[in-house]
Amino acid sequence: MKSAFRLGAYAIVYLSILVLAPHGESQSYQGKELVKAELLADTDAVIPGKPFTIGLLLRMAPGWHTYWKFSGDAGLPTEINWNLPAGWKAGEIQWPIPLKTNDPGDIQTYGYQDEVLLMQQITPSAKIDKSSVKLSADASWLVCERICIPGSAKLNVDLPIASANNPANQELFARWRRLLPQNLPETAKGNWSRIGSDLRLSLTTTALANYPTVGFFPLPPDNTAVGHPTIESRSGNEITFHIPIQSANKSLLSMEGLLVFGQQANGEDRSAWQITNAATASSADSTPARGIFTFLFFGFVGGIILNLMPCVLPVISLKIFGFVQHAGQSRQKILRSGIAFAGGIFAWFIGLAALLIALKAAGREITWGGLQFTNAYFVLFLSVIVLVFALNLFGVFEISLPQSATRGLLGWTGAQGEAGSFFQGVFATVLATPCTAPFLGTALGFAFAQSPAIILSMFVAIAAGMSAPYLLLCAQPAWLRFLPKPGPWMLHVKQFMGFLLLATLLFLLYVLGAQRGLDGAIWASCFLLFVSIACWMKGAFVVPSASVAARQISVLLLLVLVIGSGIYFIGGKFRSTKISTGSTQLAGDWQAFTPERLQAELEQGHSVFVDFTAAWCLTCKFNEANVLESAAVREAFQRHAVVKLKADWTNGDPIITKLLQQFGRPGVPLYVLYRGKSEEPIVFPELLTKSIILDKLETISHTVASQ
Amino acid sequence: MKTKLTLTIFASLVTTALYAFDPPPVGTAAPDFSLTDAKGETYSPSQYKGKYVVLEWFNPECPFVKKHYGSGNMQKLQEEYTGKGVVWLTIDSNAPGSEGNLSADAASKVMTGWKTRQTALLLDPEGKAGRAYGAKNTPNMVVINPEGKIVYEGAIDSKATPNPADIPNSTNYVKVALDESLAGKPVTTSTTKPYGCSVKYK
Repeated sequence: MKSAFRLGAYAIVYLSILVLAPHGESQSYQGKELVKAELLADTDAVIPGKPFTIGLLLRMAPGWHTYWKFSGDAGLPTEINWNLPAGWKAGEIQWPIPLKTNDPGDIQTYGYQDEVLLMQQITPSAKIDKSSVKLSADASWLVCERICIPGSAKLNVDLPIASANNPANQELFARWRRLLPQNLPETAKGNWSRIGSDLRLSLTTTALANYPTVGFFPLPPDNTAVGHPTIESRSGNEITFHIPIQSANKSLLSMEGLLVFGQQANGEDRSAWQITNAATASSADSTPARGIFTFLFFGFVGGIILNLMPCVLPVISLKIFGFVQHAGQSRQKILRSGIAFAGGIFAWFIGLAALLIALKAAGREITWGGLQFTNAYFVLFLSVIVLVFALNLFGVFEISLPQSATRGLLGWTGAQGEAGSFFQGVFATVLATPCTAPFLGTALGFAFAQSPAIILSMFVAIAAGMSAPYLLLCAQPAWLRFLPKPGPWMLHVKQFMGFLLLATLLFLLYVLGAQRGLDGAIWASCFLLFVSIACWMKGAFVVPSASVAARQISVLLLLVLVIGSGIYFIGGKFRSTKISTGSTQLAGDWQAFTPERLQAELEQGHSVFVDFTAAWCLTCKFNEANVLESAAVREAFQRHAVVKLKADWTNGDPIITKLLQQFGRPGVPLYVLYRGKSEEPIVFPELLTKSIILDKLETISHTVASQ
Repeated sequence: MKTKLTLTIFASLVTTALYAFDPPPVGTAAPDFSLTDAKGETYSPSQYKGKYVVLEWFNPECPFVKKHYGSGNMQKLQEEYTGKGVVWLTIDSNAPGSEGNLSADAASKVMTGWKTRQTALLLDPEGKAGRAYGAKNTPNMVVINPEGKIVYEGAIDSKATPNPADIPNSTNYVKVALDESLAGKPVTTSTTKPYGCSVKYK
């Protein structure tokens, strides 16, 4: 009896060794054990057909870590490949919420320290005719401390087959299941939008109030280089993340990831919600940034203003009367003609945009890469365009289409019906060129610095503005009587517009001054003076009344003047002016930004506000004058002892460019508040308000105080 | 200040306001740096205007770097493209005291021992060049065109593993970028996610 009892005890011990003590393997490096790997089941026996969970337990030496499904800027995710008996299935790895690590050099990685359990659901086949089963898997991982060592192991776990079972390794599985992300609750509302090539995720949930630390851990698709998500804004129940996308991926509308909450970053209590593509993809086409609308509105208004020009305004009345007569007062027919006419206007502007985009694309591949505001020569080029068109508006010289072209174009418009109206729309716009060129030319110049999508929407907006009166009047011909009568006043409007262009020129010269100093602005102005004289010569001497010889001599002289002064003032004097470092702009308690400076201030535990700005950036100037330099904000900065750094991008400093890219911004303005070394920086919207800044400064003082 | 603003804003409205949108960055302009090699000679990308320049971030201790050197893959690329007039600068941005940081002596030894074929192996213990390019991995690859613009940035190839056996089945992005560039074509895959060890910055 006694021996039988002993035998039974041995059997139990043996069995428990077999079941509970799995076969582990360890990875050693230079005599040190780095990782201990083993497979563990959450059950002591397999019931045929009933799913259970097996976890790969990795125990890392202190200081060493393995990686999450998305490893971040470095590292590799752990992989598990199962060799299961026929009819068995393994589910996806259930990744616990990782820890986010920041290393010098802005390196952000996601991984696990000390220990991690990577769980997978195993579904056994419904019929198993053995009494036990050996399940084996090949695991491979990368373990890093200061250095990275790849590791791998062939692991297996033996489990008996039974009709009933008991849970095993309960504490371990419970502990790691607590760290699995949850599904996004119904009450939380997520919203994706695209900002240029970047993504923005806005979430509304009452849960935010309970957690000081919230982060978005991205799970980007393969071959998508993603930057570090930043919190763009957070207030009450709303949080907005900016997720920079570094690789061009036009179809990317949302991204999987985790919304991670905690009392502190990387805390044991951290919890997360799974953000899936499917759940939020429907809202992907949400509104773009407000800026685009403002900008398109300006384009629309610009288009309406074009109608006030002397060679356009008379066309409106004529066209509408024409439509009314041809259509025999049938409202529907009038409207159809009007729409066709507007279609012609759109076609012309879209064509213009396409041409510009094509030129720009070609330019990027060849040599025009530097057409940016950060490039002083580009600003100079714009100044010339603006000046020439201003002089044109003053009547110093005329822009004229060759007569043969005019006649040829008119021939096309003879077609009847809607087709005729369409071509009339195209050619009315073309024929109005002498009046619209000053504006369109200027717009084209500025448009060179923009992305294709923006160029296209801009020109569509102008077309909409320009065709609006036609459409409106075709719908309501009676309103024709509200139209101002053409007259000499139009000439005055035209000349007045010239002064507005000169105001633009002043602004461009201010930018040149900021880039190349006073000397630069003066030498550029000298060149502009000679360009003006050339324009005057064109208006005074290159006229039909002059003899052919006189005209040719004038043109020759004019070219000599422009090219000669260009070589002397721009190629010589202007080129030799030094690139201004921008330090002259530092006023008050602002200090020049360098990455080292920022790092040093943060090391000392200071909060730092960085203003990324440029002389040519109007939004920046507006924010600085109305918000950052206002008494209330200055006082608040001082009270919270925030160090204020100014990063001047006027000349396109490459270090600042890189930083802007890291924040996913194509340019300035950018405002960032660093609350401390370990805190996520807060990124402010492009248009600042006092309350945004003051609110954020208040929350910062709390975070700092509670640390 | 306010009136000037109103004036300029109105002017911009008339000129259809395109610059209300701030311009994209020079983005593609490659930052310059100046580093020395084991012999104390100074190299900068700007001195190679007119040539294609490859930057390769390096750490002799990193298994991902060893994957490409142990298999001879990296040396082959270096030999092939320096032969075609491309300048190949290998950069070690690891801080002194961290694994992978090379002294001048050690750098020479690695170059002879591994039979490397780059134009120069540059020492960047301060991490200046690395930070300017936001290089986070070893290997991290950058291709600069003769006009000094970045045309490729990212991984060396498409298989993010430390296993040399994966090299034959992967697409080498640097090779593709250089071949396309040298043939006068635009680079089709210009940004990828680099993979490897992290650069150990100071």
